[in-house]
Amino acid sequence: MKYVMSRLLYAILVLWIVGTILFFMFRLMPGSPLAAFIDQTTTLEQQQALIARFGLDKSLFQQYTIFLQNALQGDLGQSFFHRRPVTEVVMEALPNTVILTLSGLVVAYIFGVLAGAYLAWRRGSTVEGIGIPLALATRAAPEFWLGMVMLAFFSFYLGWFPAGGANSVGLEYDSEWTRIFSVDYLHHLTLPVLTLAIYLQGLPLLLMRSNMIEILQEEFITMSKMKGLGSRTIVLNHAARNAMLPVATAFALGIGSAIGGNVVVETIFSWPGIGRLLVNAVSASDYPLAQGAFMIITAVLVAMNFVADMTYHLLDPRIRHAASN
Amino acid sequence: MSTTRRQFLGTSASAALIASLAGVPKAALAQSVSPVRALTLYSRAQAANPQQYQAAELIAQAWGDLGLDVTVSGLPQNQLSDVVWYNRDSWDVSMWQMVGRPERSDPDDFVSNLFHSANIESGYNFVGYSNPEYDRVAEAQRLVVDRDARQALIYEAQDIVNADQPYVFLVYPTKSYAYNTAVFDDTTLVNQPGLGIKNFLSFIAVEPKGDQKDLIMNVSNELNAINPYYISGAGDSWMTELIWDRIMRIDADGLPTPWAAESVTWNDEGTLATIVIRDDLSFHDGMPVRVEDMIFSLESPQRAGVAPMYKPFVDPIVAMEKLDDRTFTVELAQPNAAFETSTLSKVNIVPEHIWAPLLDALVEGETAESVLEDSRVGSGPFKFDRWNQSEVVLSAIPDHFAAAKVDRVIMRVVLNVEASLGMLRSGELNFLTDYTGDPQLLKDAADADDSIAVVDVTDIGFQFLGFNCRRAPFDDPAVRRALSFAINRRLIAGAAYNGFGRPANSHVSPALPFWYNAATEELPVGIDVATAMLEDAGYSIVDGQLHYPAGMTEQY
Repeated sequence: MKYVMSRLLYAILVLWIVGTILFFMFRLMPGSPLAAFIDQTTTLEQQQALIARFGLDKSLFQQYTIFLQNALQGDLGQSFFHRRPVTEVVMEALPNTVILTLSGLVVAYIFGVLAGAYLAWRRGSTVEGIGIPLALATRAAPEFWLGMVMLAFFSFYLGWFPAGGANSVGLEYDSEWTRIFSVDYLHHLTLPVLTLAIYLQGLPLLLMRSNMIEILQEEFITMSKMKGLGSRTIVLNHAARNAMLPVATAFALGIGSAIGGNVVVETIFSWPGIGRLLVNAVSASDYPLAQGAFMIITAVLVAMNFVADMTYHLLDPRIRHAASN
Repeated sequence: MSTTRRQFLGTSASAALIASLAGVPKAALAQSVSPVRALTLYSRAQAANPQQYQAAELIAQAWGDLGLDVTVSGLPQNQLSDVVWYNRDSWDVSMWQMVGRPERSDPDDFVSNLFHSANIESGYNFVGYSNPEYDRVAEAQRLVVDRDARQALIYEAQDIVNADQPYVFLVYPTKSYAYNTAVFDDTTLVNQPGLGIKNFLSFIAVEPKGDQKDLIMNVSNELNAINPYYISGAGDSWMTELIWDRIMRIDADGLPTPWAAESVTWNDEGTLATIVIRDDLSFHDGMPVRVEDMIFSLESPQRAGVAPMYKPFVDPIVAMEKLDDRTFTVELAQPNAAFETSTLSKVNIVPEHIWAPLLDALVEGETAESVLEDSRVGSGPFKFDRWNQSEVVLSAIPDHFAAAKVDRVIMRVVLNVEASLGMLRSGELNFLTDYTGDPQLLKDAADADDSIAVVDVTDIGFQFLGFNCRRAPFDDPAVRRALSFAINRRLIAGAAYNGFGRPANSHVSPALPFWYNAATEELPVGIDVATAMLEDAGYSIVDGQLHYPAGMTEQY
């Protein structure tokens, strides 16, 4: 319990620090926030009135205090650009981003874990000779390039998948749930998910492989072989289970970092998610929205870190003992 | 016998040569003249507008030959606005653009607003150009109702600007639009001067050939608002003009014609319009469009702070009066030749029963621009269905007096330019309305695919470089002329705009042939010409650096 509390306090501290940095960072950026809100015919008096209305005439410290008070109540302010509450704008885009990220990660990690385990088992073979450079090359390829290649081949050349958006043109759904669980949504999701998965699979694959190689040297594997167990049982039931611990941590952390990294994929595939909001908010000096989107990404990352800590704590008795001592 | 400055400078140059041979440092000779500071030429960021950025690079290079040290600085749009538009005293030279809009089919908007000295502080005249003679001509053209007489004044305005060069006009861009010929009957598209096939008239006239009854177009930026009192960008203005009717519309010939009005007639003085509205108009919520709604639509932007964007267009109105259920009058303080185009064809007819309570509830500092009115009820040929991060959907009103032939207009937000081209080929789009990529790629796609047709049009708008006329040496028309003539516009059109632009030297585009003064095309070009002009004005290039005339210094 003490361990859980300390991790929770740590998570809150991180959120507060990030929130503070974000608050000051956006206010030190060049470009007036009003540039996004007013047009070029607005008079100077109207600009002053707007400055007052958004509290931009108050001191930076006063603005910071108000920001903290509101953030604690879940109020991230009003978007300058969309002219709606930030939470509302972000929450509209969040499901699309979460679905894209989770699907991409799950595909990447399932493939990475299986391929990593396989490549470790087949160490020194031709398959490994081809597999490792291929995994490294796709991991190193720029995301936008990967996305454009996927678009050019699967969408424009083969015509299998749509080139952008989350749903077909003009389709209307009764609810957000029916939209997300429709075949059409899945059809649109495939290419962005594949791009993200290809981009992300390198880490779990290499991590799994190196862990496996290490574990395959351990005595209990020799023991299993001596017991006459089959290769599949040894790899999957004994070696892979042990090798997966660090991969599980990487997965949890990957969720947070992948949400931030979706900016590129979302732009290429015109995917209506947080990444797109973020790019737009930063270029339009929409402080509240940019702050809000970054805060949500941070919150997800911190939450996933917390989950990873907890999972590790449960899975690995050594950590549990160290914490209790 | 008088000695010209050039002869004098020639003499001093000879003296410098002799002196340098005699071992006297050049700097000592240049003591009496001070150099022009290093300049920053602002532009949109290279990634956002590669053409504009490249044009800026070419200009910086050409000016380098005249002894100017120019650094190009690319900024995102909002930062550029902040530096140039909102802090008008602090910059020297900046790339900028004016875009074409239907109401700009009349030259008044550009002729009156861009260079009139009344707009220096906060209006469109951000370069701070001031010339009483220009002000006189710009005001006079508004008052002249006779088209030929007005043409002469518009020509004169262009001549003055040509002589003073407050802008270096670069190109009138060629805009390319493409559509799917298998989906639409191409004979039904309307090609409007300066606007091309993407215009209101096309959207209502275009006939689908087969089962696909949706017009699916694209926009490459996120939408900010869909609000009848606010134009926040190109995409939303295409939507507002379909949802909300106007009293007049710009016709295929570029001239205003009655639309929601049956007739608009003027008294002999040109100061009182009598407007009879159609009797078959209703809002999308079923309420009839009344004379009161029309008056409200023209009156509400006049109120302080309600709709800053529309206020200049309704300011000429001094009084309005309802005569009967279908007739009202609009009185102007003085004749206004552009009123039909820039006001009656621009202001959206909004339902008073929806907007009056909203405008009354505005608090200090708030404008109608920030009001979120979700129903978006208008009386236009399309009604608003929905808008999300991916698309805006409008559906046709079958009993509108100008009912569209398509069922819906759907505008997809496609941020990736290359993807939008691919989507046109795959059928996900059938009307490419916002293409900012390489025009040659579009041409190639059309060549490879029989069902894609491309239509090019010279824009009413233009790309230019603005001099800050408040700051030396740009307060001197001779310097502006010299720097302008040093730039090879053909090179810019060819190299920066890949040939998809027409060299420019006027704020009235050749897309408006009646108003365009072709004489402005005859301008001298070249570094030699520019150098001679600078020397004539007393400037000198010493050690490869441009210097002010003797006795002139700068305070920057």
